[in-house]
Amino acid sequence: MRILLALALLVIPLSALAQQGPVQTLLQTHAEDIADPSRQTIQPVLDDLSASGLPAMTEFLEAWADKGVVRRDADGLFFYGQREGDVYVLRSVEDGAEAGEVGRREATELKPNAGVRRLIGTALVQFQLNDPDPARRRAALDALSRNATPDLLGPLRASIETEENGAIRDRKEELERLITLRFGENQAARLAAIDWLSDKVSLEGRAALNNVLTTRTVVGPPEAGANIARVLVPGTDISEPAAVALLAEAGFEVAQVSRADRDAALIAAIEGESVAGVAVASLNTEDARWAAYETLAQAGAVPPRAAPDAVARLLAETPITAVYDEPDPAITTAAAAALDEVGARVARAQAADLTLDALSLASIYFLAAIGLAITFGVMGVINMAHGEFIMIGAYTGYVVQTIVPDYTVSLIIALPLAFVVAAAAGVVLERLVIRHLLHRPLETLLATFGISVALQQIFKNIFGTQAVPLTSPAWLAGAWSLNDVIGISYIRIAIFVLALGFLALLVWILRRTRLGLEVRAVTQNPGMAASLGIDPDRVGMATFALGSGIAGVAGVAIGLFAQVTSEMGSGYIVQSFMTVVVGGVGSVFGTLVGAGMIGGLQKGIEWLNPSNTLAAQTYMILFIILFIQFRPRGIVAQKGRFVQ
Amino acid sequence: MTDATASAGRPTRITRGSPADHPSIRRPLIRRPDVLIFLAILALVTIGATVLAQTGHVSTSTVKLLGKTLCLCLAALAMDLVWGYTGILSLGHFAFFGIGGYAIGMWLMWDRTELIVLDTLARNPLPATPLEVQEAIGSQIFGVVGSTEIPWLWAFAGSLPLQLAAAVLVPGIVALIFGWLAFRSRVAGVYLSILTQAGTLALSLWLFQNDSGLRGNNGLSGLQNLPGLDHVPQSTISLWFLWASALALAGAYLLAAWTVAGRFGSVLRGIRDDEARVRFLGYEVEHYKLAIFTGTAMACGIAGALYYPQAGIVNPAEIAPIASIYLAVWVAIGGRGLLYGAVIGAAFVSLLSSWFTGGGAPDIDLGFYEIRWTDWWLVLLGLTFVLVTLFAPKGLGGLVDLWTERRSRRTSDLGPDEGALRAEEERP
Repeated sequence: MRILLALALLVIPLSALAQQGPVQTLLQTHAEDIADPSRQTIQPVLDDLSASGLPAMTEFLEAWADKGVVRRDADGLFFYGQREGDVYVLRSVEDGAEAGEVGRREATELKPNAGVRRLIGTALVQFQLNDPDPARRRAALDALSRNATPDLLGPLRASIETEENGAIRDRKEELERLITLRFGENQAARLAAIDWLSDKVSLEGRAALNNVLTTRTVVGPPEAGANIARVLVPGTDISEPAAVALLAEAGFEVAQVSRADRDAALIAAIEGESVAGVAVASLNTEDARWAAYETLAQAGAVPPRAAPDAVARLLAETPITAVYDEPDPAITTAAAAALDEVGARVARAQAADLTLDALSLASIYFLAAIGLAITFGVMGVINMAHGEFIMIGAYTGYVVQTIVPDYTVSLIIALPLAFVVAAAAGVVLERLVIRHLLHRPLETLLATFGISVALQQIFKNIFGTQAVPLTSPAWLAGAWSLNDVIGISYIRIAIFVLALGFLALLVWILRRTRLGLEVRAVTQNPGMAASLGIDPDRVGMATFALGSGIAGVAGVAIGLFAQVTSEMGSGYIVQSFMTVVVGGVGSVFGTLVGAGMIGGLQKGIEWLNPSNTLAAQTYMILFIILFIQFRPRGIVAQKGRFVQ
Repeated sequence: MTDATASAGRPTRITRGSPADHPSIRRPLIRRPDVLIFLAILALVTIGATVLAQTGHVSTSTVKLLGKTLCLCLAALAMDLVWGYTGILSLGHFAFFGIGGYAIGMWLMWDRTELIVLDTLARNPLPATPLEVQEAIGSQIFGVVGSTEIPWLWAFAGSLPLQLAAAVLVPGIVALIFGWLAFRSRVAGVYLSILTQAGTLALSLWLFQNDSGLRGNNGLSGLQNLPGLDHVPQSTISLWFLWASALALAGAYLLAAWTVAGRFGSVLRGIRDDEARVRFLGYEVEHYKLAIFTGTAMACGIAGALYYPQAGIVNPAEIAPIASIYLAVWVAIGGRGLLYGAVIGAAFVSLLSSWFTGGGAPDIDLGFYEIRWTDWWLVLLGLTFVLVTLFAPKGLGGLVDLWTERRSRRTSDLGPDEGALRAEEERP
């Protein structure tokens, strides 16, 4: 039946008139204006089309603006038409259904000019803003924010009333303010928009306020009634050479002679062994050269050099002012005040963001350093290969990922496995090396350094020098952002949670278990502990396994956001030592405070000097060296074997 | 501490020739066998290398390698004094070495650039002005870090005596300040090691910046060319430096042997073996530690000033903490607490290292895997080092002792911390 109908349509075009839907009918009432639109005549037509409220009208307007509509010459009907070779493939304007073909010369493509297209676009926005599909409404708002024009304000305001989606409604209101601020019809409306924006911290709002405050530089006295932002003082607001260049651009030029010009002139004037009556050989100071140039200038051979204070005088005589593009002083004053207010709020938000960053860095340092701290506390030895346990953990994660392709599953396997592998490596190290170097902490330090060098090189030989990937699962990608300023990635939140978990675990082990009791006893007085029947060897091995295992877990965590290389451990080892030394040996809370302090310090210094993270580390280390002067035993001082 | 001792820095009465002193130590320095043998071997090596180089049997690069090795031996000697004799495991002495290199490198680079710049400017029709010269030098040296301004650090770069003084004094002053801060607050043992390591890291990170004024990670280069001596071939210059290095090492060895033989040396060993006891005996332990820390830092500065003109380039990577740890490794493998041990260790390990990493060692084909020493040398070094620490705390120098002990029984306590060797010997 349908095929028959389609055939019928094809064969008898005129019969299509009988099938006209509401869109075509409406279009036909304005057929001539649509076929040959002009900016003067099209607005009533568009208003009429808009007023119809037909959903299919959106597509038509889009296609029309996009030059995708043809008019069949035979009957004057409009279709979506796509040129394919010698024919237009037609589709119905009602529902986009196939409507046959028509020869290239039997239909006319509608080609609205740029002015008309802009008007169509405006009308279109109104449709899109009221589109039933929220995604399309959002897309329309995005397009609007990029490309705002004053005439879109009306449709936007109209659409706010009927908006049901809360988030989109907020966005519409925000955009309405932004556009009002830029193109608003009266001062009161714009001031209201500024007032509203002063409570926000969004980048867009700040950009809009800044946009109001754009200035141009005016050389010489500004025209009467100009909205002057400030007078630029050479040397403070603007560098002197820049000021001179500005003056030169505006036609106020000083006859300055550069050193290169002077030398060229002198060289050109060399006659035999002298220039302007002075021996060439004596021109070996700047003063002598200038003197010779003056002589030449007095003889009229070269352009005279301006008096030394000519530039200063000219700068003093000619004011350079920054003038707002916005003529209304009330608006600019309000915008400047609002921007200050927003700035203060942004600064507070940045401080909060910085605190989050510092917390996340601190949790990484805590994970990396806690193992070091408890082994140092119990056994009194520094393990230089601790960083390599971090590396072993990260490579364990990598190997698991090559076997188990699902990132979530592999992470769940990798975390405990890294703990086990690193703990095993730690036990081996303790049994083979550290056990034999008891009470010789310096030699332990060096022997474990030998292990560290060997391990690094072995892993380099096995896995290559290139960094290997340790990919985080999709649900850890992205960031949690509170507003345009405060944001933190999910990985860092996960690491923070991990660190909290281990903190709780360690505190529980140390306070509530038999092992913890023994560990605390050995830390405080190994001799007394041994005489009470505690085996210090066994306790030492258990703490070493625990500390190394945590380093392995830290390795997986670090590998998720940093590169996994054989040298990754050495990058954390000095920071870990610093954390232990600052926090106090053998104390979980000391390490926590130490990690917090070092993380905070590093982020703080980076914030003060953002361009130079190398310098930040230098200053941090210097600070710690000084800190040690005042608390040589760390924040939480050890009581027991280390007290001298 | 009583007033009488505080002013003198040590008790007024001390028994000389106490039983702990070696019989050989009481002899005049120049007649002690280890000093004589050391000087003889050093002279033999230096003269032999010179003769072989002049007759063309030994290449210039080998002479340079030898000269550099002697400088490293000098640094190891300093490390041995501070660690092996005093028990301060400093992981920052190679930083002083690097500072010495930077100090001399600044003069070498400045003076050579100045000569080149003057040469270029002389082709101008007008004689050069001081301002022009400064600007040209600035852009030549600091162009690589995007600057033409001359940093204040380079204020005296044009003067050889001042820069030579800086090569000694800057390490000395840095060590003095650092040591004073550290020893004053009784930072000792592993804490001090970590702190020196951190300080070294801070220095190298600072040097890595472009605006540190020392050309960032480019470092100072072209140091093998002595200003104004372009007509002298490198083969001759390398011999000059070989002799200078040998003389410096010989002088340092004599000085070190004299230092450790006297009362000062006894106190140092006392601090190493039991710091608290020496303090209770009334010695100002901090002063002794500060003196040896500063003195050895200056020696390292001299070693660096001799080393880097032979190496040709000094950059921040040289100062990285790992270099200082290697210095300790050399001393440990050579045998700490023995002056010749440190020299043997540095020479042996650094020469072996360049042999292995330079591809000199034959690869071993195991059938299923080929051991390439360029890849596995560090593993070998690391594990050897662990084994030496575990089983041969006296290192290679201990082998020499095995031979000498037959004639003079030595009972000294050479352990670096908590009397390690004594504990080792007492172990049933």
